[in-house]
Amino acid sequence: MAAYSTELPIRPDLDEAHAEVASRWSTTGTWWSGVERLAIVEEVRNARDAVEIAPWESPSEIEGLVSGDHVLPDAAVDAIWRITNHPGTLTAEWHASILGRGIHPEAYVEMVGVVAQANAVDRFADALDLDRVELPIPSTSEPDQTGDASLQVTSHWVPTAQIKGPNVLKALSAVPFENETLSILSSAQYVRLGDLLSDLVSKQNSLSRLQVEVIAARTSKLNECFY
Amino acid sequence: MSQDSQVSFEAIDNSESGDGGVEHGALLSRLCEAIFEEDKDQLASVKDKLLDAAGVDVLIDAVAVSANFYMMTRIADSTGTPLDAGTVEPSAEIRELVGVNSFTSRREAQT
Repeated sequence: MAAYSTELPIRPDLDEAHAEVASRWSTTGTWWSGVERLAIVEEVRNARDAVEIAPWESPSEIEGLVSGDHVLPDAAVDAIWRITNHPGTLTAEWHASILGRGIHPEAYVEMVGVVAQANAVDRFADALDLDRVELPIPSTSEPDQTGDASLQVTSHWVPTAQIKGPNVLKALSAVPFENETLSILSSAQYVRLGDLLSDLVSKQNSLSRLQVEVIAARTSKLNECFY
Repeated sequence: MSQDSQVSFEAIDNSESGDGGVEHGALLSRLCEAIFEEDKDQLASVKDKLLDAAGVDVLIDAVAVSANFYMMTRIADSTGTPLDAGTVEPSAEIRELVGVNSFTSRREAQT
Protein backbone atom coordinates (compact mmCIF):
# COMPACT_ATOMS: atom_id res chain seq x y z
CA MET A 1 0.00 0.00 0.00
CA ALA A 2 1.36 3.42 -0.94
CA ALA A 3 1.39 6.24 1.57
CA TYR A 4 1.55 9.06 -0.99
CA SER A 5 -0.05 9.89 -4.30
CA THR A 6 2.40 12.22 -6.00
CA GLU A 7 4.52 12.74 -9.09
CA LEU A 8 7.59 13.18 -6.90
CA PRO A 9 9.93 10.18 -7.20
CA ILE A 10 9.72 9.12 -3.57
CA ARG A 11 11.76 5.98 -3.01
CA PRO A 12 9.46 2.93 -2.75
CA ASP A 13 11.08 1.80 0.50
CA LEU A 14 10.43 5.22 2.05
CA ASP A 15 6.83 5.31 0.85
CA GLU A 16 6.24 1.77 2.13
CA ALA A 17 7.84 2.58 5.48
CA HIS A 18 5.42 5.46 6.03
CA ALA A 19 2.45 3.29 5.08
CA GLU A 20 3.64 0.57 7.45
CA VAL A 21 4.13 3.04 10.28
CA ALA A 22 0.60 4.40 9.81
CA SER A 23 -0.69 0.85 9.99
CA ARG A 24 1.27 0.29 13.21
CA TRP A 25 -0.26 3.43 14.72
CA SER A 26 -3.72 1.91 14.25
CA THR A 27 -2.96 -1.39 15.98
CA THR A 28 -3.60 -2.07 19.64
CA GLY A 29 -0.55 -1.18 21.67
CA THR A 30 0.61 -2.41 25.04
CA TRP A 31 -0.90 0.54 26.89
CA TRP A 32 -3.12 2.39 24.41
CA SER A 33 -5.88 1.09 22.12
CA GLY A 34 -5.79 1.60 18.36
CA VAL A 35 -8.37 4.36 18.73
CA GLU A 36 -6.23 6.08 21.36
CA ARG A 37 -3.03 5.68 19.35
CA LEU A 38 -4.65 7.32 16.31
CA ALA A 39 -5.98 10.04 18.61
CA ILE A 40 -2.37 10.66 19.66
CA VAL A 41 -1.42 11.15 16.00
CA GLU A 42 -4.41 13.43 15.46
CA GLU A 43 -3.39 15.45 18.49
CA VAL A 44 0.12 15.88 17.09
CA ARG A 45 -1.51 17.26 13.97
CA ASN A 46 -3.75 19.56 16.00
CA ALA A 47 -0.76 20.83 17.96
CA ARG A 48 1.23 21.53 14.83
CA ASP A 49 -1.61 23.25 13.02
CA ALA A 50 -2.79 25.40 15.93
CA VAL A 51 -1.65 28.91 16.72
CA GLU A 52 1.41 28.32 18.89
CA ILE A 53 0.95 28.52 22.62
CA ALA A 54 3.72 29.09 25.16
CA PRO A 55 5.47 25.99 26.59
CA TRP A 56 4.05 26.56 30.05
CA GLU A 57 0.46 26.76 28.82
CA SER A 58 -1.68 23.60 28.86
CA PRO A 59 -3.94 23.22 25.83
CA SER A 60 -6.45 21.28 27.94
CA GLU A 61 -6.97 24.42 30.02
CA ILE A 62 -7.50 26.76 27.08
CA GLU A 63 -11.16 27.00 26.14
CA GLY A 64 -12.00 25.68 22.70
CA LEU A 65 -8.60 24.19 21.94
CA VAL A 66 -9.26 20.58 22.92
CA SER A 67 -12.53 18.70 22.65
CA GLY A 68 -14.22 18.11 26.01
CA ASP A 69 -15.01 14.49 25.16
CA HIS A 70 -11.48 13.60 23.98
CA VAL A 71 -10.59 9.89 24.17
CA LEU A 72 -7.22 10.80 25.70
CA PRO A 73 -6.73 12.09 29.24
CA ASP A 74 -5.88 15.78 29.57
CA ALA A 75 -2.38 14.96 30.80
CA ALA A 76 -1.69 13.04 27.59
CA VAL A 77 -3.02 15.84 25.40
CA ASP A 78 -0.91 18.40 27.25
CA ALA A 79 2.17 16.19 26.92
CA ILE A 80 1.60 15.61 23.20
CA TRP A 81 1.42 19.35 22.51
CA ARG A 82 4.48 20.12 24.61
CA ILE A 83 6.60 17.34 23.08
CA THR A 84 5.50 18.32 19.59
CA ASN A 85 5.97 22.07 19.81
CA HIS A 86 8.53 22.65 22.57
CA PRO A 87 10.75 19.56 22.91
CA GLY A 88 13.78 21.59 23.96
CA THR A 89 12.00 22.85 27.08
CA LEU A 90 11.28 19.48 28.69
CA THR A 91 12.63 18.80 32.16
CA ALA A 92 12.58 15.95 34.66
CA GLU A 93 10.11 17.96 36.75
CA TRP A 94 7.78 18.33 33.78
CA HIS A 95 7.96 14.58 33.11
CA ALA A 96 7.18 13.85 36.77
CA SER A 97 4.20 16.20 36.62
CA ILE A 98 2.72 14.30 33.67
CA LEU A 99 3.10 10.97 35.49
CA GLY A 100 1.65 12.61 38.59
CA ARG A 101 -1.53 13.31 36.63
CA GLY A 102 -2.09 9.59 36.12
CA ILE A 103 -0.10 8.51 33.08
CA HIS A 104 1.63 5.16 33.68
CA PRO A 105 5.42 5.38 33.08
CA GLU A 106 5.33 2.75 30.34
CA ALA A 107 2.20 4.24 28.76
CA TYR A 108 4.14 7.50 28.62
CA VAL A 109 6.93 5.74 26.70
CA GLU A 110 4.49 4.29 24.17
CA MET A 111 2.88 7.71 23.73
CA VAL A 112 6.28 9.35 23.18
CA GLY A 113 7.04 6.80 20.47
CA VAL A 114 3.84 7.54 18.56
CA VAL A 115 4.20 11.31 19.02
CA ALA A 116 7.79 11.28 17.77
CA GLN A 117 6.96 9.09 14.76
CA ALA A 118 4.01 11.29 13.78
CA ASN A 119 6.22 14.36 13.94
CA ALA A 120 8.70 12.74 11.55
CA VAL A 121 6.16 11.41 9.06
CA ASP A 122 4.11 14.60 8.92
CA ARG A 123 7.14 16.90 8.68
CA PHE A 124 8.21 14.94 5.62
CA ALA A 125 4.81 15.31 3.96
CA ASP A 126 4.40 18.97 4.88
CA ALA A 127 7.84 19.97 3.64
CA LEU A 128 7.20 18.36 0.26
CA ASP A 129 3.61 19.69 -0.01
CA LEU A 130 2.17 16.18 0.12
CA ASP A 131 -1.10 15.18 1.73
CA ARG A 132 -0.36 13.77 5.18
CA VAL A 133 -0.56 9.99 5.45
CA GLU A 134 -4.16 8.85 5.73
CA LEU A 135 -4.91 7.18 9.05
CA PRO A 136 -6.23 3.62 8.83
CA ILE A 137 -9.22 2.19 10.66
CA PRO A 138 -8.09 1.33 14.19
CA SER A 139 -8.06 -2.18 15.57
CA THR A 140 -10.73 -2.78 18.17
CA SER A 141 -9.02 -5.01 20.72
CA GLU A 142 -8.08 -3.61 24.09
CA PRO A 143 -4.48 -3.22 25.30
CA ASP A 144 -3.50 -5.62 28.07
CA GLN A 145 -1.61 -2.89 29.98
CA THR A 146 0.65 -5.39 31.65
CA GLY A 147 3.88 -3.90 32.91
CA ASP A 148 7.29 -5.52 32.58
CA ALA A 149 8.75 -6.09 36.03
CA SER A 150 12.29 -6.24 34.65
CA LEU A 151 12.24 -2.59 33.53
CA GLN A 152 14.07 -0.08 35.68
CA VAL A 153 14.63 3.67 35.81
CA THR A 154 18.40 3.95 35.63
CA SER A 155 19.93 6.32 33.07
CA HIS A 156 16.78 7.94 31.64
CA TRP A 157 13.68 9.54 33.21
CA VAL A 158 11.68 6.62 31.85
CA PRO A 159 12.02 2.92 32.65
CA THR A 160 14.25 1.06 30.21
CA ALA A 161 15.25 -2.51 29.46
CA GLN A 162 18.81 -3.64 29.96
CA ILE A 163 19.83 -3.54 26.31
CA LYS A 164 23.08 -2.48 24.67
CA GLY A 165 23.47 0.40 22.26
CA PRO A 166 23.27 4.20 22.23
CA ASN A 167 21.12 5.73 24.95
CA VAL A 168 18.64 7.14 22.43
CA LEU A 169 17.93 3.63 21.17
CA LYS A 170 17.40 2.53 24.75
CA ALA A 171 14.85 5.29 25.39
CA LEU A 172 11.80 3.40 24.07
CA SER A 173 13.02 -0.05 25.10
CA ALA A 174 10.20 -0.39 27.65
CA VAL A 175 7.86 -0.80 24.69
CA PRO A 176 9.70 -2.91 22.07
CA PHE A 177 6.98 -2.36 19.44
CA GLU A 178 7.82 1.36 19.40
CA ASN A 179 11.53 0.67 19.12
CA GLU A 180 10.76 -1.49 16.07
CA THR A 181 8.80 1.37 14.51
CA LEU A 182 11.69 3.72 15.24
CA SER A 183 13.96 1.32 13.39
CA ILE A 184 11.61 1.15 10.38
CA LEU A 185 11.50 4.93 10.07
CA SER A 186 15.18 5.58 10.75
CA SER A 187 16.25 2.94 8.25
CA ALA A 188 14.15 4.58 5.54
CA GLN A 189 14.78 8.22 6.42
CA TYR A 190 18.28 8.27 7.88
CA VAL A 191 20.67 5.33 8.07
CA ARG A 192 20.01 1.66 8.63
CA LEU A 193 20.61 1.23 12.34
CA GLY A 194 23.10 -1.57 11.71
CA ASP A 195 25.20 0.87 9.67
CA LEU A 196 24.98 3.72 12.17
CA LEU A 197 28.51 3.40 13.48
CA SER A 198 29.90 0.56 11.38
CA ASP A 199 29.72 2.31 8.00
CA LEU A 200 30.53 6.01 8.03
CA VAL A 201 31.45 6.45 4.38
CA SER A 202 28.84 4.78 2.14
CA LYS A 203 26.27 6.94 0.39
CA GLN A 204 22.79 6.83 1.89
CA ASN A 205 20.61 6.81 -1.20
CA SER A 206 21.38 10.10 -3.02
CA LEU A 207 23.24 11.72 -0.10
CA SER A 208 26.80 11.32 1.13
CA ARG A 209 27.11 10.34 4.78
CA LEU A 210 28.60 13.77 5.44
CA GLN A 211 25.53 15.46 3.96
CA VAL A 212 23.30 13.19 6.04
CA GLU A 213 25.10 14.12 9.23
CA VAL A 214 25.04 17.86 8.48
CA ILE A 215 21.26 17.68 8.04
CA ALA A 216 20.86 15.56 11.18
CA ALA A 217 23.01 17.85 13.30
CA ARG A 218 21.52 21.10 11.95
CA THR A 219 17.97 19.83 12.55
CA SER A 220 18.87 18.65 16.05
CA LYS A 221 20.37 22.03 16.89
CA LEU A 222 17.32 23.88 15.57
CA ASN A 223 15.22 21.71 17.89
CA GLU A 224 17.60 22.61 20.75
CA CYS A 225 18.45 18.98 21.36
CA PHE A 226 21.66 18.51 23.35
CA TYR A 227 21.84 14.77 22.77
CA MET B 1 34.43 10.48 8.31
CA SER B 2 36.05 10.82 4.94
CA GLN B 3 39.74 10.25 4.61
CA ASP B 4 40.28 12.65 1.72
CA SER B 5 38.21 15.66 2.68
CA GLN B 6 38.44 18.43 5.24
CA VAL B 7 35.19 19.36 6.92
CA SER B 8 34.18 21.83 9.58
CA PHE B 9 31.04 22.49 11.60
CA GLU B 10 30.00 25.71 9.84
CA ALA B 11 26.94 24.26 8.13
CA ILE B 12 25.72 22.83 11.43
CA ASP B 13 26.04 26.11 13.29
CA ASN B 14 24.04 28.10 10.72
CA SER B 15 23.51 28.35 6.98
CA GLU B 16 25.32 31.69 6.66
CA SER B 17 28.75 30.34 7.51
CA GLY B 18 29.40 28.30 4.39
CA ASP B 19 29.40 24.71 3.23
CA GLY B 20 31.89 23.51 5.82
CA GLY B 21 33.54 21.33 3.20
CA VAL B 22 30.31 19.40 2.56
CA GLU B 23 28.79 19.49 -0.91
CA HIS B 24 25.77 21.85 -0.83
CA GLY B 25 26.31 22.10 2.93
CA ALA B 26 24.95 25.64 3.30
CA LEU B 27 21.97 24.90 1.08
CA LEU B 28 21.13 21.76 3.04
CA SER B 29 21.44 23.73 6.26
CA ARG B 30 19.12 26.39 4.83
CA LEU B 31 16.62 23.67 3.92
CA CYS B 32 16.64 22.48 7.54
CA GLU B 33 16.00 26.04 8.72
CA ALA B 34 13.10 26.49 6.29
CA ILE B 35 11.49 23.21 7.38
CA PHE B 36 11.87 24.25 11.01
CA GLU B 37 10.48 27.75 10.47
CA GLU B 38 7.54 26.41 8.43
CA ASP B 39 7.69 29.53 6.27
CA LYS B 40 6.13 28.45 2.96
CA ASP B 41 7.86 31.12 0.84
CA GLN B 42 11.26 30.48 2.39
CA LEU B 43 10.81 26.73 2.00
CA ALA B 44 9.69 27.01 -1.64
CA SER B 45 12.70 29.17 -2.42
CA VAL B 46 15.28 26.90 -0.86
CA LYS B 47 13.66 23.79 -2.37
CA ASP B 48 13.93 25.37 -5.84
CA LYS B 49 17.57 26.19 -5.24
CA LEU B 50 18.36 22.67 -4.04
CA LEU B 51 16.47 21.18 -6.99
CA ASP B 52 18.57 23.24 -9.41
CA ALA B 53 21.82 22.49 -7.63
CA ALA B 54 21.43 18.82 -6.71
CA GLY B 55 18.24 17.35 -8.14
CA VAL B 56 14.97 15.98 -6.89
CA ASP B 57 16.35 12.81 -5.29
CA VAL B 58 18.65 14.84 -3.06
CA LEU B 59 15.77 17.13 -2.13
CA ILE B 60 13.53 14.22 -1.11
CA ASP B 61 16.26 12.38 0.78
CA ALA B 62 17.35 15.57 2.55
CA VAL B 63 13.79 16.29 3.68
CA ALA B 64 13.50 12.69 4.88
CA VAL B 65 16.67 12.95 6.98
CA SER B 66 15.63 16.25 8.51
CA ALA B 67 12.15 14.92 9.26
CA ASN B 68 13.68 11.89 10.96
CA PHE B 69 15.33 14.18 13.48
CA TYR B 70 11.96 15.59 14.52
CA MET B 71 11.48 12.06 15.80
CA MET B 72 14.90 11.49 17.33
CA THR B 73 15.03 14.83 19.15
CA ARG B 74 11.59 14.28 20.66
CA ILE B 75 12.48 10.79 21.79
CA ALA B 76 15.72 11.98 23.39
CA ASP B 77 14.22 15.05 25.06
CA SER B 78 10.98 13.56 26.34
CA THR B 79 12.65 10.51 27.89
CA GLY B 80 15.57 12.28 29.57
CA THR B 81 18.12 10.53 27.41
CA PRO B 82 21.63 11.41 28.64
CA LEU B 83 24.77 11.61 26.55
CA ASP B 84 26.42 8.25 26.00
CA ALA B 85 29.34 7.80 28.36
CA GLY B 86 31.79 7.10 25.56
CA THR B 87 30.94 10.27 23.65
CA VAL B 88 31.47 12.86 26.37
CA GLU B 89 35.16 13.49 25.82
CA PRO B 90 35.25 13.07 22.02
CA SER B 91 32.28 15.43 21.55
CA ALA B 92 33.34 18.15 24.00
CA GLU B 93 35.00 20.36 21.39
CA ILE B 94 32.19 19.83 18.88
CA ARG B 95 29.54 20.73 21.45
CA GLU B 96 31.39 23.92 22.25
CA LEU B 97 31.83 24.81 18.57
CA VAL B 98 28.20 24.31 17.61
CA GLY B 99 26.93 25.99 20.76
CA VAL B 100 24.65 23.42 22.38
CA ASN B 101 26.00 23.45 25.94
CA SER B 102 23.45 25.99 27.18
CA PHE B 103 20.43 24.03 26.01
CA THR B 104 17.79 23.10 28.60
CA SER B 105 17.98 19.58 27.19
CA ARG B 106 21.60 19.17 28.36
CA ARG B 107 21.91 15.94 30.31
CA GLU B 108 25.32 14.61 31.11
CA ALA B 109 26.31 11.00 30.78
CA GLN B 110 25.87 8.96 33.92
CA THR B 111 29.00 7.40 35.28
